Amino acid sequence: MNKKYAALGISAALTTSLLAACASTDETTSNEGSDDSNVVNVYSSRHYDVDQQLYKQFEEETGIKVNVVEGKSDELLERLNTEGESTEADLFITADAGNLYQAKEAGHLQAVDSDELESNIPAKYRDTDNEWFGLTKRARVIVYSKDRVKPEELSTYEALTEEQWNGKVLVRPSENMYNISLLASFIEVNGVDEAKEWAKGLVNNMARDPQGNDRDQAKAVVAGEGDVAIMNTYYMGLMLNSEDEEEKKVAEELGVFFPNQDTTGTHVNISGIAMTKASKNTENAQKLMEFMSEPSAQEKFASVNYEYPVNESVEPNELLQSWGEFKEQDINLSVLGENQQEAIRIFNEVGWK
Amino acid sequence: MNWHAVKRQLNGWAILSFLAILLIVLPGVVVLVELFAPVNENWQHIQEYLLPRYVRNTLFIMLATGLLTTVIGTSLAWFVTVYDFPFRRFFKWALILPLAIPPYIGAYTYHGILNYTGVIQTTLRNQFGITVDQSYFNIMSIQGTVFIFTLFLYPYIYTITRAFLHNQSSSMIENARILGRGSWDIFFTVVIPISRVAIIGGVSLVLMEVLNDYGVVKYFGIQTFSTAIFSTWFGMKDTSSALKLAGTLMILVIAILTMERLVRGRKQFSYASTKVKPLKPRPLQGWHRYAVFAYVSIVFAIAFVIPFTQLTAWTFLTFDTVFTEEFWQLVWNTVRVAFIATVIILLFALIIANYTRLFPSNMTRVISKVTTLGYSIPGAAIAIAVITLFLWLDDKVLDMAKALDLSQTFVFRTTLIMLIFAYVIRFLAIGYNSIESGFEKVGKSFTEASRMLGWNTVQTFFRVDIPMIKGAIMSAFILVFIDIMKELPLTLFLQPFNFSTLATQAFKYVSDEKIHEAALASIVIVLMSGLLIFVSHKVLDKEAD
Repeated sequence: MNKKYAALGISAALTTSLLAACASTDETTSNEGSDDSNVVNVYSSRHYDVDQQLYKQFEEETGIKVNVVEGKSDELLERLNTEGESTEADLFITADAGNLYQAKEAGHLQAVDSDELESNIPAKYRDTDNEWFGLTKRARVIVYSKDRVKPEELSTYEALTEEQWNGKVLVRPSENMYNISLLASFIEVNGVDEAKEWAKGLVNNMARDPQGNDRDQAKAVVAGEGDVAIMNTYYMGLMLNSEDEEEKKVAEELGVFFPNQDTTGTHVNISGIAMTKASKNTENAQKLMEFMSEPSAQEKFASVNYEYPVNESVEPNELLQSWGEFKEQDINLSVLGENQQEAIRIFNEVGWK
Repeated sequence: MNWHAVKRQLNGWAILSFLAILLIVLPGVVVLVELFAPVNENWQHIQEYLLPRYVRNTLFIMLATGLLTTVIGTSLAWFVTVYDFPFRRFFKWALILPLAIPPYIGAYTYHGILNYTGVIQTTLRNQFGITVDQSYFNIMSIQGTVFIFTLFLYPYIYTITRAFLHNQSSSMIENARILGRGSWDIFFTVVIPISRVAIIGGVSLVLMEVLNDYGVVKYFGIQTFSTAIFSTWFGMKDTSSALKLAGTLMILVIAILTMERLVRGRKQFSYASTKVKPLKPRPLQGWHRYAVFAYVSIVFAIAFVIPFTQLTAWTFLTFDTVFTEEFWQLVWNTVRVAFIATVIILLFALIIANYTRLFPSNMTRVISKVTTLGYSIPGAAIAIAVITLFLWLDDKVLDMAKALDLSQTFVFRTTLIMLIFAYVIRFLAIGYNSIESGFEKVGKSFTEASRMLGWNTVQTFFRVDIPMIKGAIMSAFILVFIDIMKELPLTLFLQPFNFSTLATQAFKYVSDEKIHEAALASIVIVLMSGLLIFVSHKVLDKEAD
């Protein structure tokens, strides 16, 4: 007898705790299964407080509740891969066109036909089939030590492989998406062989084994480990506005140089938004996409991270304006995804850690 | 006991045990099946360019960390148990505290301290005008990785070895003393041999943590087996090759576990009575006293005080921007999900451990081995398996709802059930190991006496077994709870909508290169874990006295 009670008791305890677990998330998730509920579900790899404020503002204006899973791009993408058509996500927000391309290739996205999106977002920052839309853009530039390098000495990404920069170039490891996309763009602009030569040449000129993140490259330049670093523009913005005085000091000793102005243009990437093919709340999702492309949202969304807004009617942040305008690589950003695998292979082959 | 009785007993315990085992086998099978699938063209590339370096790095880190944690963990356990020196009672539990700092948090904290804008270099530069060679302060290297793992993982060896020395070695050490052996001699010829089982148990825990770590090596940019799995999976989009790597890793871990079992299997330590005579510490004389004190203090400072102080400073720096109303929600989420999962894990662990103990057979031996398998399955593989299972489940629920013409259905994947399920698979082994060793220590004689006096297994379980292993249950609870609180890859992958924990919050800030902002969430994890360690120590101590 007793044994049965124990078994019963244990199963009861298990059930109760499981029910308790789901009941507590019930308020936000119970109605996601139905078609006409007033929600939109977002997988986002951005984690800024401003995003939350914008979602809240959207909720107030439209009455549509925004549910968010924040994660890293890779994980969210893999989650979409696994969930396939049964995903609960309506929208996917992520950095790097390479990631958006992957989602499209895997068949997770659907085209969105919206005049508002098309007028707010220039064609080169949209997918050719309108399956994804850029929201912000960032440039991958060369930063240099104001003490030791004159901007006149700098010209192109390719020039960094020359003898002059031997042992002076700093860049982060190759597993990073920004580097993969950078090389992917070179494969498009210069061809596979030249891109590989460039990677080989750069490895040869590195000041140290690649390590750390973009900010670490900036610090290493100021510390004198190297003279120039390849990094994204917004990290300069973040460092100049850091709570940490020392980080500010570092950034103030660095200059920003937009390479390849006379040739192929500076590498630009985006963060963007896309609607999932399996979306159950397509109307709400489209409303949120349009909302994000509007000038008022664009301004906040871009400036919090010192990025350039894609909507051309919106001025970038003052700091970005102070760096001046620049010529961008003239490629459709889809190629960053198309050449991704090739880029990873090249990195492995030339021994870029 | 006749055959019928055995058969009847098997039912209740066995069914529940099998159920739990099924959960764990599931992701294991997903991984192992892939191991035998044909290779694709990526595999060639991985073998040629990646594997040699990955394997070399992984082996180096494992060997060096294993060695260093053993030296530090064992020596600390020895000093604290055998000698009396200033603040010994404090260090006894304080030396466990580094366990409260997850290695990935330790890694970014130390990088923050040592880098160009860190407190050391800044002070040297601004106060003394000294600019140092960066390579001396570079922690993002393979040696730095070993340093981090050693600091924050040695407590596994320290705790297990200290408990063993404290409880079981007194007669042997005292006899050796009477026979005139010196301290060094005793340490190497008596202590190491008799406590090798405990040490190996600790080392195997350390090595599994090292093998499965993703946060530290990813942050430092060190290429190891676990980064290889993720970069193949996410970078090359090759799930098949990623699972092959995961399978290889899993076999490696199973090999470690089997070795540990083999060493342990031959020796059974159980109390002859419930009262064991603990070792009495001996006061140290002269400079020895201060040397030991200095050594212990330095380890404690580097592994806890320094990173903790740095985190506190960063917390003050960013408190206003990071501390919002939602922060309480994070704390509540973390505690809630860890608590529920821990309770479930302990229930399963108790059932399985009691079953395998009372009905030893080939089958239960297999069950006991499989239970520890979850720890060996790489987090990524558990995530794939769990999502696949829940997709299937949700599909069935949807079909049922359609058949019944319901307008609303229940979607498991949008709830915490999926995440908790994954935690159970991942951490059952930890709960099980503690409870199993608790049972091992008390032996079966009390249970048998109780059965002889007329109580059945269930009555005995609740009235004799559980009270006797109270301590083991509590340490299991605390170990599992802390581990879940720190857990990263599964939580990131399986979190439902609008759900974050302290660990994922800290990680998000770190991956956005906002180290200072990550401090608040990190320090709350450290404080809560530290508090639990303190409480458990106090309770266990009382019990021991």
